[in-house]
Amino acid sequence: MSDQAVETQDLVREYKGGVKAVDGVSLTVESGGIFGFLGPNGAGKSTMVRMLTTLLRPTSGTAIVAGHDVMKEPGVVRRRIGVALQDAAIDPYMTGRELLRLQGVLHGMKRAECRARADVLLGRVDLEDAADRRVGTYSGGMRRRLDLALSLVHEPVVLFLDEPTTGLDPVSRVTLWDEVRRLNVEHGTTVFLTTQYLEEADQLADRVAIIDGGQIVADGTPKALKAGIGHPLLSVVAAEGSTPDDVARVLAGFGEMVPGAREGGAAVRLPGGSTAMADAVRALDDAGVRFAEIDLAEPTLDDVFLASTGRHLAGSDDATA
Amino acid sequence: MTAAVPVIRQTAALAWRSIVTTVRLPQAWFPALFFPLVLMAIFTASFGGAPGTIPGFPPVRSFLDFAVSGAIIQGVLIGGTTAGAAFATDIEGGFFDRLVASPTSRTSILTGRLGASIALGVGQALLFIAIAAIFGARVDGGLIGIIVVVVIASLFAAAVGGLGVFLALRTGSGEAVQGMFPLFFALLFFSSAFFPLDTMVGWYHDVAALNPITYLVESMRLEIIGGATIWTALAGIGIALGLALITVGASALELRRRLRVAA
Amino acid sequence: MKGLAVSLGLAGRNLLLVRRVPSVFIPSLIMPLFILIATSGAFHGIGALPQFAGASYLAFTIPMAATMGAGFAGINSGMTVARDLEGGFFDRLQSSPAPRVALIMGPMFAALVRSIFTTTIVFIAGLIGGVWLPGLLPLLLIYGFALLFGASASCWAIGVALRARTIQAAPIMQLVVFLSVFMSVAYVPLSALHGWLGNVAKFNPVTYILTASRSAELTGSIIWSETWPGLIAGFGLLILLGIFALAPLRHLENR
Repeated sequence: MSDQAVETQDLVREYKGGVKAVDGVSLTVESGGIFGFLGPNGAGKSTMVRMLTTLLRPTSGTAIVAGHDVMKEPGVVRRRIGVALQDAAIDPYMTGRELLRLQGVLHGMKRAECRARADVLLGRVDLEDAADRRVGTYSGGMRRRLDLALSLVHEPVVLFLDEPTTGLDPVSRVTLWDEVRRLNVEHGTTVFLTTQYLEEADQLADRVAIIDGGQIVADGTPKALKAGIGHPLLSVVAAEGSTPDDVARVLAGFGEMVPGAREGGAAVRLPGGSTAMADAVRALDDAGVRFAEIDLAEPTLDDVFLASTGRHLAGSDDATA
Repeated sequence: MTAAVPVIRQTAALAWRSIVTTVRLPQAWFPALFFPLVLMAIFTASFGGAPGTIPGFPPVRSFLDFAVSGAIIQGVLIGGTTAGAAFATDIEGGFFDRLVASPTSRTSILTGRLGASIALGVGQALLFIAIAAIFGARVDGGLIGIIVVVVIASLFAAAVGGLGVFLALRTGSGEAVQGMFPLFFALLFFSSAFFPLDTMVGWYHDVAALNPITYLVESMRLEIIGGATIWTALAGIGIALGLALITVGASALELRRRLRVAA
Repeated sequence: MKGLAVSLGLAGRNLLLVRRVPSVFIPSLIMPLFILIATSGAFHGIGALPQFAGASYLAFTIPMAATMGAGFAGINSGMTVARDLEGGFFDRLQSSPAPRVALIMGPMFAALVRSIFTTTIVFIAGLIGGVWLPGLLPLLLIYGFALLFGASASCWAIGVALRARTIQAAPIMQLVVFLSVFMSVAYVPLSALHGWLGNVAKFNPVTYILTASRSAELTGSIIWSETWPGLIAGFGLLILLGIFALAPLRHLENR
């Protein structure tokens, strides 16, 4: 077995009219981890997943998934991957158990095997009580958990989750995160997850790639990506009797200034981290500059996104709130 | 007088909107023209041997003459159902609420819809007669005959429109109103719309004999194939008027009930 | 072999949906009954034409109603595929290792099961109306022709669904199937047709399916000279429409 769960070379998908939804993506996802594919709506995440899961033919480039070429051996790839796509399309008129058994049949499993596997998975995602109810009566979180279970019927090597928590309430989201983590740790399943939520990528993924306009703009561990942005940002708001310029004059001695980052005050990147913050406070005091607010912010993936694209990740604030 | 003028103008404006949205939307008028005409063509070709051979078949020049009135009624029925569904969609989409919230007169909400139904019914009847004429159909009653046919068709259009408005107000769902269509279509088959009552037997004959559509169609048909009298014309007009009064009355009551609930 | 198991599994799911959704189930039951009763009731008198040679018009209508019922079941299988494509369920099927053919055979099997069901209902209604069953072989032949037409209609509707990928295409599926029956010998034998329809019906394969099925119903025996044109027309239609349905399977990933 290959060490790479996913490996793409210059992958391109062009739609009618010449729009390139995915524009030359080369990506390597190693086996065993949780990979977060982060990007705003329409960045090309779903197109990418559809190509990797054999649902869409790439216009050019190659993609090896679970050790096999998606174009040359789609059948083998399909046997080795699990897929839970965006807006979990589940028949509202079927019960969870029926759907799980059908999924087993689709994977060529024997009757008894389907039954046994359905029971195990229902227990795993905590849907035993709802197993014989029609899916139409499920809550959003229950549907996503069922969708997850469906993608696990054949014990896939690589699991693709396309925006698994979009539209879920915070509690259901955390439940699903735990499930994905457990899957990764206990069963060693590689997870390829797309998301538009920074927090989700930050919490779950041990590696993140950021896609924008069909191209990868950043790729690495969340920690390395954030470190790449630079040092924590100290921002200070001037109080009555002092001006933002007073604040700025003092802070300028501590590192690189970030103009316009804080209204009514100033902000600086602190190479010394939180220890340097104490020095800065003292210096402000010594200079007689009065301040109303002070805070130290670690770089976030949004800063990474901002630095790579010049834009904030749309809706990231309310989405993670 | 002063109060009546805005009502008439609003009615005209709302009727105009309904007509325009129908004409501009092929889904709205295509079925109402296509299906009756295709069935008329198929029946005429299938049953061409019936006149003069089948006992109980009235004397006609051709089966096409016989089929025209049934096609008109069918077209009005399909068009009316589609219009009712459109009105229900209006209610779903909030257009109705916007009307109610505006100073538009309550009456014109109803009369506007019905005005549109009647206008479309008249247009449909004339169009069908013209198309049938191209293929050799003739109206025996001449101009007066055509007028009677158009009057009955327009009154029936008002009746179907009234039923559509009533159902739309009751259910508030375009899908539900459209879902009634198969029922109306069935009603048509259990009448003399496509074949003479006198050729039917047993319980089917009895059901068709009780179906008011049978008498509407026969009254129109006599104007086309010949044999109409002032009494057959008045009977048809009377039945159509009666149906229209019932459904329009019901929809007016339903509108009042709905407005009271809303207030 | 594995394809068969998957097809049956998918057929089971389709049938489950039909059973559980009243707005699908009830019309599929009523529709062939309505066609039988309304046609035989409204046009009863036409049976007096010499071309009918004294046959009961209700018996004459039974094969047509059975054929329509099967066509209706076929259309519904296409509508299910269209809805699955639109809603994303088809992605689930497509991303599984199930053989591609099974994605068509499943819904088609469901349509066949439904065709058997609706044909049986038509025969029962005929019995209530006083038309006795023909012999066993003619009866099986009528079922067979209904299934042939149901499978063809299913292939047509699924082919349309796979190309259009939206339930908005349902009217096209319905219209073509309905017109193919009505523009044949739906109401009278070929010899009684007038003008344009006579010419159209001559080239319509459904004419020969209905004529063969009718011959079995009305004579209670299998008259070979009236049966073989029906078999050729039926299988020819199925093969052509089968290709129509299979072709887009190769290009599923290109959208």
